[in-house]
Amino acid sequence: MKILRRFLVRMRNLVVRQSHADRFREEMQEHLIQQTEENMRSGMPPDEARRHAALKFGVAETIREQYHAETSLPLIESTLQDLRYAVRILRKSPGFTAIAVGSLALGIGANTAIFTAAQHMLLDRLNVPHPDQLRMFYWTQPKEGIVSSMWGSWDDMPDGGEISTSFSYPVYQQMRQANRSMAEVFAFKPYGRMTVTISGNAEAAETEMVSGNYYAGLGVRPQLGRGIQESDDGEVGSGPVVTISDRMWTNRFGRSPDAIGKTVLVNAQPMTVVGINPPGFTGANSAQGTPDVFLPFSMQPIVAPDGSDTPSLLTNKSLWWVLMMGRIKPGVSSETSQASLNVALNAAVRATMDVKKDNQLPRLVLRDGSRGQNPSIEGFAKPLVVLMALAGLVLLLACANLANLLLARAGVRQREMSVRLAMGAGQGRILRQMMTESLLLSFLGGASGLLLAWLVRNTIPRLLSNAWDPPAFSARLSWPIFAFAAAVSVLTGIVFGLAPAWKSTRVEVSSSLKESGQTVTRRRRGLGGKAIVAVQVALSMLLVIGAGLFVRTLMQLGRTPLGFRSHNLLLFSVDLPETRYPLAASTPILQRLDEKFASVPGVQAEALTELPLISGSARNSTLIPEGQQKKAEGNPSALTNRVGAHFFETFGIPIIAGRVFTMQDAPNSPKVAIVNQSLAQKYFPNANPIGKTFQTGGRHPFTVEIVGVCGDARYYRVRKEVQPTFYTPYWQVDEGVHDATFAISTQLDGHALLPSLRDAIRQIDTNLPMLDVRTQDEQIAANLRQERIFAVLSSGFGVLALALACVGIYGIMAYSVANRRNEIGIRLALGAQPRQVRTMILRESTWLSVAGIVAGVGTALFLTRLVKSMLYGIQPNDPLTISCGVLLLLAVALAASWIPARRAARVQPMEALRHE
Amino acid sequence: MATGDIQQGTLALMVLKTLDVLGPQHGYGIARRIEQISGDQLSLNQGTLYPLLLKLEHEGAIASEWGPSENNRRARFYRLTRAGQKQLRSELENWNHTADIIARFITMNAETNS
Repeated sequence: MKILRRFLVRMRNLVVRQSHADRFREEMQEHLIQQTEENMRSGMPPDEARRHAALKFGVAETIREQYHAETSLPLIESTLQDLRYAVRILRKSPGFTAIAVGSLALGIGANTAIFTAAQHMLLDRLNVPHPDQLRMFYWTQPKEGIVSSMWGSWDDMPDGGEISTSFSYPVYQQMRQANRSMAEVFAFKPYGRMTVTISGNAEAAETEMVSGNYYAGLGVRPQLGRGIQESDDGEVGSGPVVTISDRMWTNRFGRSPDAIGKTVLVNAQPMTVVGINPPGFTGANSAQGTPDVFLPFSMQPIVAPDGSDTPSLLTNKSLWWVLMMGRIKPGVSSETSQASLNVALNAAVRATMDVKKDNQLPRLVLRDGSRGQNPSIEGFAKPLVVLMALAGLVLLLACANLANLLLARAGVRQREMSVRLAMGAGQGRILRQMMTESLLLSFLGGASGLLLAWLVRNTIPRLLSNAWDPPAFSARLSWPIFAFAAAVSVLTGIVFGLAPAWKSTRVEVSSSLKESGQTVTRRRRGLGGKAIVAVQVALSMLLVIGAGLFVRTLMQLGRTPLGFRSHNLLLFSVDLPETRYPLAASTPILQRLDEKFASVPGVQAEALTELPLISGSARNSTLIPEGQQKKAEGNPSALTNRVGAHFFETFGIPIIAGRVFTMQDAPNSPKVAIVNQSLAQKYFPNANPIGKTFQTGGRHPFTVEIVGVCGDARYYRVRKEVQPTFYTPYWQVDEGVHDATFAISTQLDGHALLPSLRDAIRQIDTNLPMLDVRTQDEQIAANLRQERIFAVLSSGFGVLALALACVGIYGIMAYSVANRRNEIGIRLALGAQPRQVRTMILRESTWLSVAGIVAGVGTALFLTRLVKSMLYGIQPNDPLTISCGVLLLLAVALAASWIPARRAARVQPMEALRHE
Repeated sequence: MATGDIQQGTLALMVLKTLDVLGPQHGYGIARRIEQISGDQLSLNQGTLYPLLLKLEHEGAIASEWGPSENNRRARFYRLTRAGQKQLRSELENWNHTADIIARFITMNAETNS
């Protein structure tokens, strides 16, 4: 207790230090005066009395130290002292400090920014209680298995089969009924956008369709009202209720509690708002992205009926589209649940689908569901890892810089260290002093880096999402990120400050203190510093080559011929809800929009497509050329798009043979199609396809006649080569086209036309919002955004790396020259030409750079193989890129060592020999 | 008894007892009193008293405040606190206890020797 009290008092005393010093002085004064008077009273003369009193008191200094030791914590005191000294030293050499802190800030800032992105994309979990208990349901089947009709995501497996998360609704119902092993089995579906009309304003909102036990299974509690319940998910139409997101509540209801009970129109159907989800709830699909409206499955046939003669997907046995998730029961392992639910799956499939004798049934796989399905991962995991590696290299470069700078300074401060050692400082004390300096530097660098990362926190999410979508994730800087930045700072300070600090303590006191630092011309090898610079050059080489590869990839992609014209095209989409325009009722509306847009002043040409080009989506359908039989499984297929009459003309796709669609191809006339050259060559080789027919359409097959052949054009991705594609007129689609993208060709600024275009839409239907306004070029750029990010970031890193390597080389050569002034002086005195001295220095630095370059190229040849999948149009070991990089680095190295070399040549022999 | 240095622990005991007997006293007064009582047998650098006084104050055994000294100058007066009294009593007990035990050993040796 006593000890604790003394400790606390000492802490307080750190602050009131000065008053204690005053107090001791006063007390000492008083004591001496009293003792002196006493002495004088016993007969001593005044001087004698004073001296005697002082002697009796004791050595003031020692006692003052004891007093002082009583009042403070020596450790903190000396650390503060070190800190103050470190600050003074750093302020005295601002250039050094600026370079060190600056390069660290850039390195740590880049790493923090990318780590933030990585953490959000890869690690963020669903915002529900105990997400680790959630399991996402997947199934696998061999190639061309039973399940052929899917809506959702599926992937190819390495063994040739496929894996998917989409189940059919009847299968889900049966599995849920048979479930005994999991605590809860529920279903959901990110349904896409629906038109939501609130108080007369119609806008598009992302929706998620959920089962009655979704809220119970996830454990989500709405912040207001209630969630979707079992009673809402019974009979079709029995639950016309929705819950909305916190964001929608803020944006469109002003956070008013009256939102509960309000009626809104979803796809023109009245629904009641019954609950508000908690903020930060992102649905079950992923931890990024925010569905705004949640509705029960029971409302699907009414609110979002399927555009065919069977509007209900709930009874549809062949379409697999529903996502399933379960929460494990404590005590029951995941494997057990998987096995028993697999049995249920098999039974359900047998009950709902036509299973032949040797068909293989799909197999259930339960995977971690704490991040939902996390569809963004597939695209982002590898690039993020590569980005983190690049940022890590930059940080390493910055740290190498720091180490070199500290080493150089340690060399310069040798005399100071010898004085300290001579005065009695322990080696540990000096080490602590040097470490404090390097830690201070690294903390300053870390703090600036964190600030930098905060300033640019929005760029990465914005880079990762389309310009017209909300950012991919919120750029919150959270505690793990602070911790990360702090850890990196401390680590760099310790690791890269330790060697120079250690070197400082190993100083030979006697020889350093002499007036002439060296009695003989010792050639300081300086291997440590040179090795570090060689490593820096190697790292820069790696980064420069990487940047070259990514930039050239982007250039190659930009140069790829698309097969259609993409400039000066404004795009926007409209979404006709099936509830108001069932089936083919949408066709007249589209036709009227088509005509109206064409007549808007300023519009040169317009066209309509169901799926916009280079958007990442494509429609695909079976294709059975005439004369071939339709098989049960494994039929040929092709890509298809439903387009308007002016599609080919507006997009500049040439018609090579035959004709375009005309009004004579009426809705009731025989169906026609235009095929591209690849399709013609693949399915009708060596023949004129005009006039030939083929059968298409999965569930309701129909025959189509080919009336024209067009040029090949890229469809859904720039990187994907052209595949066999056929185009059909949208007005001949029996079930009607309900999502369409309009392309407006104009010489004016497209955005200037928007008001008139919006008016045109409103004249036809006031409840149709205009969605996703962008240009075709922006659409393409969005498709290439990953390549663009990499090109931009890696070039930035490359430039940074070159700058750091430049500074590093300059530093080491300047240091080397400064140390060798004696030697150079002797050489010059003995008759060497200044030119020869300069060449000597340049040759040394060139050897150094060459060593680094060779190491860098070797590592690059090894590592670039890993990013092969991200490149396009060039090989990972592209010789042109590598040789350009090598030349660039050699040039930079030469430039960096030019000034030290010139300084070496300008050394005056007499001066050099005289001083040291 | 030869003059010698004394340990801090015993010095603290002396300070507390002095304050107990004399009441509030300033630093010089305490030093003089200790000199007197020990009969100038202890060589004590008077200054070393002050760190000890500060330590005792931090521990809560004594409290201090400024007050007028004999010649109307300012001096810092120390007084024993309640906690200090308790501490004094327990330290005295310990001291007596130790002295008892040592005494037994001393007398024991004398017996066996004779």
